Amino acid sequence: MKKTSALLALFFLASSFSFREITTEKKIKNFSLKSTNNKIISLEKYKNAKGFIIVFTCNKCPMAKLYSERLNTLYTKYKSNGVYLIAINAMDTLVYKEESFKLMQNKVKKEKLLFPYLQDKEQAVAKQFGASYTPQSFVIWKNKLGKWIIRYEGSIDDSALEPTKANNYLETAVDELVQNKIVTNPFTKSVGCRIFYRGEIAKMD
Amino acid sequence: MKKTINLLLFFTFLLLANTGFSQYNVLNIPEAYYGVSGSTGKTFTLNIDDNVKQFRTGQATVTGAINIDPATTNTFWGPTLIFNKDDVVHMNVTNNLNESTTIHWHGMHLPAIMDGGPHQIIPAGTLWQPYWTIKNQAATLWYHPHLHTTTQAHVTKGIGGFIIVKDPTEAALPLPRTYGTDDIPLAISSRRFLSTTNAMAAQVIDNYGDYSMINGTMNPQVTLPKQVVRLRILNAEIQRGLNIGFSDNRTFYVIGNDGGLLNAPVAVTRLAVQTGERYEILVNLSSDVVGAETLFLKAYNTTAEIQLLTGTGTNTFGWPGLEGNSTTPTGNNGPINGGLLNNTTYNLMNIKIAAATTTVTPITTIPTTLVNQTYWTTADVTNTRTINIGGGNGGSAFTLDGALYSTTMTPKTINLNAVEKWTIVNNNIFGHTFHLHDVFFKIISRSGGNIGTTVRSFEQGWKDSVWLPIGGTVTFIAKFDDYADSTWPYMYHCHALTHEDEGMMGQFTVNGTLATNENVAHTAFKVYPNPVANRLYINLENLDNEIYYITITTLEGRTAMMLPKPEWQNGIDVSSLATGTYLLKLTDSKTKSVTTKKFIKI
Repeated sequence: MKKTSALLALFFLASSFSFREITTEKKIKNFSLKSTNNKIISLEKYKNAKGFIIVFTCNKCPMAKLYSERLNTLYTKYKSNGVYLIAINAMDTLVYKEESFKLMQNKVKKEKLLFPYLQDKEQAVAKQFGASYTPQSFVIWKNKLGKWIIRYEGSIDDSALEPTKANNYLETAVDELVQNKIVTNPFTKSVGCRIFYRGEIAKMD
Repeated sequence: MKKTINLLLFFTFLLLANTGFSQYNVLNIPEAYYGVSGSTGKTFTLNIDDNVKQFRTGQATVTGAINIDPATTNTFWGPTLIFNKDDVVHMNVTNNLNESTTIHWHGMHLPAIMDGGPHQIIPAGTLWQPYWTIKNQAATLWYHPHLHTTTQAHVTKGIGGFIIVKDPTEAALPLPRTYGTDDIPLAISSRRFLSTTNAMAAQVIDNYGDYSMINGTMNPQVTLPKQVVRLRILNAEIQRGLNIGFSDNRTFYVIGNDGGLLNAPVAVTRLAVQTGERYEILVNLSSDVVGAETLFLKAYNTTAEIQLLTGTGTNTFGWPGLEGNSTTPTGNNGPINGGLLNNTTYNLMNIKIAAATTTVTPITTIPTTLVNQTYWTTADVTNTRTINIGGGNGGSAFTLDGALYSTTMTPKTINLNAVEKWTIVNNNIFGHTFHLHDVFFKIISRSGGNIGTTVRSFEQGWKDSVWLPIGGTVTFIAKFDDYADSTWPYMYHCHALTHEDEGMMGQFTVNGTLATNENVAHTAFKVYPNPVANRLYINLENLDNEIYYITITTLEGRTAMMLPKPEWQNGIDVSSLATGTYLLKLTDSKTKSVTTKKFIKI
């Protein structure tokens, strides 16, 4: 019965939005990956989570390196709101010796990263999100059916080298979601280093 | 609000700092890199790095650069390599990009296996160690990526640098040669930036940049002493030709081009420089006023040579970059051939005049003669070829002899020491710059097209690239000497990088004595010590075997080191490898068979 009413509610909700918006909503399934502290982290483990900030990053990309401090700030700002920042390294460790688990651990220690830094060794999670750059951020939010939906995708901000001048796209999107608003700018372009998927021929963009 | 404050600050700055404020950026002059001398020659360590650079306000631009680790922090372009004739140079090139690339030594006469063309792929994370003896004479060369289909993207990122070769003949001449003071390298290029991300666009439609830059500096100013100054000009554009001159139309002097010095300086007021070409010029600043900032180096692309010669305003002869421009900054959907700078005359660089040098003896006059080059003539020719430029209709790719390039295409074969006469025929819808690897050529004739039948005064001398207008035919002579290798080919191609990436390229091998096809399956050898910490030695069972190539890979197959024709007798330096088990794959020179041995790095 509960399910039926939820479905009905969704139906009415759907009729008030454009059909396209509903069908292009991308769901993210739960995933489990190993963090640099050797613990397995999964979305399910965060019982009270309203949303997650998922950032695909890596060890050696110069653009990604510029954001460590900003990610720490975002992590601290939102965790009390039930929005957790998780960083994922999905670089092909077969190709890049700089992206090994050991060097991920070194990075966390050296840069005093506060948030979990997970290794996506099979690149499956990155593929699920459709990540193609480091850094690239996603905000996923729980919908009424309890599914994780991508509500923001793109760059963290628009000024990697001059943070004080930046438009903080990611932060704005999270703020809007926290206030139960619709994200006004749900997609921005990401720039940085390409994530190449093992066994796939890269398309030039 | 933030913007208002910024503007206020900006104007306050303008008012207060009227003496110190400059509307220009100081021209980046890449560091000169002389290498590290050792018992076997000079070693140059070059890291190909991803980076970011604040080119414009807003988002930083993702770039690429070459760095001498850990000494430099270049964010665009790389050091100027200084070589002396007869030096043995060892290059330690590490690819730190996330993808494969190559580094080609443009204009360098060297074995094909060291050339850095599309066949010498350096995978991500790999150390490539080519080496050779400098046989070039004093000249300005450059190095840049050359991986087929991604050359434009990698050059656009900023990966590349100059090479200056010095020799005793040049050193004896009264020419400016103090690097960075009276001898300045200028890699002239431009970029298109995508809206919102400021990413440098590198698709086929982005063959013309919207914003000019020299050595990676936008709106540059260089301070030059009040004397004769030498500028080494490289057209590092993706496709655009540059009709270069000074803003006061002063005469300047071409003293050298691609392959070395001319016999005598050639006086000009405009100089047409096409992609990949280099010209060394002298400009006399002796009569200029110290402190003046009124002189500009400019691209007179509204009055490029084609229009001067034809008197028309249309791009009838396919001069790249003379197509109409777009009037608004372009995003990634900008019109094809629509660079903001197209068909405009624009400033390349402001020149600020400083006092004449005191520590360096100033050159004050232009020499009347330079060197005494001996060029090949028709009497020397042992073989002739014709190459026809085609394609391009309806937006299709341009071709050479009707074919698109593939690394596996059958190469032309040229006999070692052959003196060949090549005729390049451009009955095509666009102009092209034909570039030859391995050796320099002497242009002996032109016909058709707008340039006429005279070889232009400034394209005398040794060339590796030559401009072909629509309807133009060029004949040149080259000797394919010193280096034979029937396996690895050299390239010839159009140096408009968009054309090259789309397949306007061919390959040739230079063949010495007939290759033997002995059926020896394997080359017997041992490696020691094993495990190894620093140097790995090879013990060949049969000393008649020669090693053609060694690659060292991890067990998973990641290439760690590539050593073409290694100098294995003194051992291989493996100290940079991470600990682990590796495979050493040895290719035999005669049979090209590959034998593999395992070793452990501790």
